Amino acid sequence: MADKSHPINIEVGDGAAIPVKKDKGLVNAWSISFFGAIGCIIYLCLVDPDMYWEVLKFLPDGILVTFQVTIASIFLSLIIGLFTGLGRISDNKIINTVASTYVEIVRGIPLLVQLFYIYYALGRFEFLQISELPSAIIAMGICYGAYMGEVFRAGIASIDKGQGEAARSLGFNKTQTMFMVILPQSWKTILPPVGNEFIALLKDSSLVSILAVADILRRGREFASVTFSYFEAYTMVALVYLVITLILSKAVSKMEERLNYYEGY
Amino acid sequence: MKATDAIIQIKDVYKYFGNLCALDDINLDISPGEKVVVIGPSGSGKSTMLRSINRLEEIDKGHIIIDGKDINDRDNDINAIRQELGMVFQSFNLFPHKTVLGNLMMAPMKLKKLSKNEAEKIAMELLHKVGISDKAHVYPKMLSGGQQQRVAIARALAMNPKIMLFDEPTSALDPEMIGEVLDVMVNLAKEGMTMVCVTHEMGFAREVADKVIFMDKGKIIETGTPEHFFSAPEHDRTKLFLSQIL
Repeated sequence: MADKSHPINIEVGDGAAIPVKKDKGLVNAWSISFFGAIGCIIYLCLVDPDMYWEVLKFLPDGILVTFQVTIASIFLSLIIGLFTGLGRISDNKIINTVASTYVEIVRGIPLLVQLFYIYYALGRFEFLQISELPSAIIAMGICYGAYMGEVFRAGIASIDKGQGEAARSLGFNKTQTMFMVILPQSWKTILPPVGNEFIALLKDSSLVSILAVADILRRGREFASVTFSYFEAYTMVALVYLVITLILSKAVSKMEERLNYYEGY
Repeated sequence: MKATDAIIQIKDVYKYFGNLCALDDINLDISPGEKVVVIGPSGSGKSTMLRSINRLEEIDKGHIIIDGKDINDRDNDINAIRQELGMVFQSFNLFPHKTVLGNLMMAPMKLKKLSKNEAEKIAMELLHKVGISDKAHVYPKMLSGGQQQRVAIARALAMNPKIMLFDEPTSALDPEMIGEVLDVMVNLAKEGMTMVCVTHEMGFAREVADKVIFMDKGKIIETGTPEHFFSAPEHDRTKLFLSQIL
């Protein structure tokens, strides 16, 4: 544990490629994808406004829902993840085992199956019937909570043991030490992977369209099923997702840069 | 001296790391105001003993009694006992997310429920005492090692402890910064603080110690005044060790 050579960056999840610093200049993968996607959207809307412009106008409600689901799920997963992470490093054998088992189980079941399970399977019991949107948020929160647990665990483990000892020697108890000394320092390590998880979660949120939650994908599908223009609808859906995730990945990379600059702290 | 006078009593203490006996039947009484310097080769158990005094290490057998309270007795609140024990580490362990002032004010405000003004007043007095009041608002990373260690001493003092424990406080410092830290410790000793220091600074031991303890392989080999140690150490191991570091 006293090993100080641990890496600062935690590689977790499968978020969009976060631009790294050496990708400088205008011609890099991010710029090509981003401006390419924007260009495509504009070009298609100009060439065939009756189709593509109509799809594009139909999607914003879905974008809103996608963000709703994503943000609510990420909050839920952060709360679950914090407790899971704390459980995973707990000296208490029972708490530790419960947290570890939760991570094992959740990571072993596909998210789509979890969605079905919470909405359809548990929905068989009257007292567990929840409507589509909360079901989706709960399922995604539970699933990503397991991943967040690992992020928190790694973030906490990255803090030098001496910090905890200094706090304890002043008279802080375990909980105070964790929340006043350890966690405030581990944000630096925790935030970038949380950003990645956010992007991954946003993409995975398209799965909730299966529960008839009217997210981006669902809206595209509705448009297609009425107009039979599957190609146009799904092209636009794909481009809109791409633009959103690219903006977010840029934001995460900016945040990482700032955290690295933040040496005074 | 009667044992009941002692503010720290270490009685028949054993500590094992696996098969290694890190503390082997340690017995030691320290009276209020006494300055004890612990020396010994690395791996001799001196840091382990010091860390056991505020239960950063759990002992396997025996008793450690601080101010009448057995620290391993679950009925006693270890967090309250630790407030009586200031600890200074080799690697400073300042909180990097807090300013110097924040490091000093945190424990008094959260644990002693002092108001911000009271805590700040005490903190500034202490920073003045350790000669670093001009750095109150910077972050620890901006300070030199010697300055950081002086802040760490002030942080421990902010809780107004009865006893100060020093775990090789100058070992991580560049040579030119050792003096400034030792000066602070000497002044503290002169004020009558009870101190237990694990250190190799023999000049410091000579100047302030009432008692020097030599440890080797988990045992206390020899105890005496600094004069005794520097003029006529009894044991061969003590002689060998002193000849190596002096």
